[in-house]
Amino acid sequence: MDNLTLLMEGFSNALTLQNLLFALIGVLLGTAVGVLPGIGPAMTVALLLPLTYALDVTGSLIMFAGIYYGGMYGGSTTSILLNTPGESSSVVTALEGNKMAKAGRGAQALATAAIGSFVAGTLATGALVFVAPFVVAIAIGLGAPSYFAMMVFAFVAVSTVLGSSRIRGLASLFIGLTIGLVGLDGTTGQPRLTFGQPLLSGGIDVVVIAVALFAVGEALWIAAHLRHGTPATIPVGVPWMGRDDWKRSWKPWLRGTVIGFPFGAIPAGGAEIPTFLSYVAEKKLSKHPEQFGHGAIEGVAGPEAANNASAAGTLVPLLTLGLPTTATAAVMIAAFNQYGIHPGPLLFQTEPVLVWTLIASLFIGNTLLLALNLPLAPLWAKLLRIPRPYLYAGILFFATLGAYAAGMQTFNILILLLLGALGYMARRFGFPVLPIIVGAILGPEMERQLRRSLQISAGDPAALLSEPLAVVVYAVIVLFLVGPPLVKALRRRFGRGGPTEGPRSGGGSSDDNDGYSADTESTVQFDAFGTQTSDGSARVIRVVRPRAGRRGK
Amino acid sequence: MTAPSTEAASGLRARLQGRSELGVAALLAGIAMVIAVDTANIRHTAINAGVMGPQVVPTIIAIGLGLCAIALAISVLRGGHADAEDGEDIDLSQKAHWPTVFGLGGLILVFALSMDFLGFVIGSALLFYGSALLLGSRRFVWALVIGILLAVGTFYGFVLGLGINLPAGLLTGIL
Repeated sequence: MDNLTLLMEGFSNALTLQNLLFALIGVLLGTAVGVLPGIGPAMTVALLLPLTYALDVTGSLIMFAGIYYGGMYGGSTTSILLNTPGESSSVVTALEGNKMAKAGRGAQALATAAIGSFVAGTLATGALVFVAPFVVAIAIGLGAPSYFAMMVFAFVAVSTVLGSSRIRGLASLFIGLTIGLVGLDGTTGQPRLTFGQPLLSGGIDVVVIAVALFAVGEALWIAAHLRHGTPATIPVGVPWMGRDDWKRSWKPWLRGTVIGFPFGAIPAGGAEIPTFLSYVAEKKLSKHPEQFGHGAIEGVAGPEAANNASAAGTLVPLLTLGLPTTATAAVMIAAFNQYGIHPGPLLFQTEPVLVWTLIASLFIGNTLLLALNLPLAPLWAKLLRIPRPYLYAGILFFATLGAYAAGMQTFNILILLLLGALGYMARRFGFPVLPIIVGAILGPEMERQLRRSLQISAGDPAALLSEPLAVVVYAVIVLFLVGPPLVKALRRRFGRGGPTEGPRSGGGSSDDNDGYSADTESTVQFDAFGTQTSDGSARVIRVVRPRAGRRGK
Repeated sequence: MTAPSTEAASGLRARLQGRSELGVAALLAGIAMVIAVDTANIRHTAINAGVMGPQVVPTIIAIGLGLCAIALAISVLRGGHADAEDGEDIDLSQKAHWPTVFGLGGLILVFALSMDFLGFVIGSALLFYGSALLLGSRRFVWALVIGILLAVGTFYGFVLGLGINLPAGLLTGIL
């Protein structure tokens, strides 16, 4: 196999003493920062990005792979030992993981999470090795219309499918596109939204955007609502699992991997849906369904594996098509761009050594993570008790440092503050942050592909449909947009006891397969422009909020 | 005839109460206007005359933002809302503490503006110290010590470890 030879070459590149050291530093720092409460994987990667500035490309990518997996593992440790995670992909882990920790089985929860992450990460990275060249082979023959269609698909997916409110997702997307607009137009060199400011003509650095939205926005938001006193953390020893735990874990790991990888690999991204599906599947298949809700180990093993497998899966569209579909992937694109590397099908041809070294270092990072984290878990648990004033002051410290170091411009810190305020606003009003960053990164690229498509056809918009893949993608988009509300409307009309029941009757696992997480569904019904854009919602609003009742207050 | 009108007015007020998200809709509309004006001012040159000039995409974005603003405003007025983000250290039961938020924003602003004069070490140590105090730390000496250690450590870490020179400012020659 050709890719295996290339992979071996990647391993021989990555397995030098120096590179192993970089991987080790990456894993340690990634986990340490990721464990800190309030810091998700995306923020971990964004905050640690400046560290890789001075390294060579290979070294920094290897360190990055460590940070990537370390940050994710750190996040699940936090959700098991602290509950109420900030990161959407760890929400499901917290359901059973925290219950296990409270019942004195924290060591087992951490162990099944760590080993499950390792198993899923390794298998999914293996899948990446085989899938990526296949995708590249197809992608290399695609023209601008197909790329344009896939970007539209990514936009629709991140802004309307993943969030709880479509209108807010779209608004976030357009704000992101606006940020991406700033600077000189790539084709004609005309300044757009630069307001005569020469420092803006190069556009806003993606690192600054990421740090502002994820670190500053989050820190300001938490500062406004800082909980008094540190929440109780559960002390934990070195993770270990008994024979029974192994027996109950290995199948969920494999199932989680199978569920997680494809969801990551399609450019609709996000670990929320696969982790949730894995949880539901484990609950149905478990021999101890009564333990779910009280700390069932399957409920940690499956979703954790799904989370890691989908994270490896996101690397497929990222590396082969240049499409970031999660926040962490978006920040990774920024890291690539630092070195003038533009992920896409050509990357596998122009920089094969680099790509395969990166993939090899994912395997290495994953293994180091397992070797380090089992013995170090008690230390990580101690990090959870860091006094919050120092923690968030430190986040602001490193955020400003990262923004400044991105271009050695104090001007960047002002942009950081402005976009940080935007991030605060997004959290306050429940606007998803992911579409902002994806829009800012992909916007300029999408414009380029659109122009290229139209140039070939001399301006005829029919050119956008000139490739079969583009047509298929648009059809899927229409299904995405029309499907869920239509199914709901039909179900309400024919399936249930008439319209009086309203959308509220929709609950339980069968309804949740539509991709909206269960906890957001209850709020959705208030939103006429939310996920349920059917005639029913308007009626429900009137029922829920009687006018007379409001006037009386 | 006065009774219904006052009732309507108080109804309007009740409707506006707790609808601060309308401000977001206004902001979206404002950004749309800025883009529209900026795009209208793009000079028409020979280069622009290609199939698709630099105005097309900004125009689409401006229209999209405008539509989002309108739809959001209608949605909010009809009672739509999304949940604010929750997290480990967030207590949503208390109201936003604005002095802390604006204090932190001010500190970052001061840090940015004084960077060339004070230099990285003094500025960032003050940023950390001020932020920690604003966030409720009452260990006045400890917080300062940590801030200084962090700033000096980062400075030397960048210079020696990464080869990146951060501005020394007032401490030029000392560090």
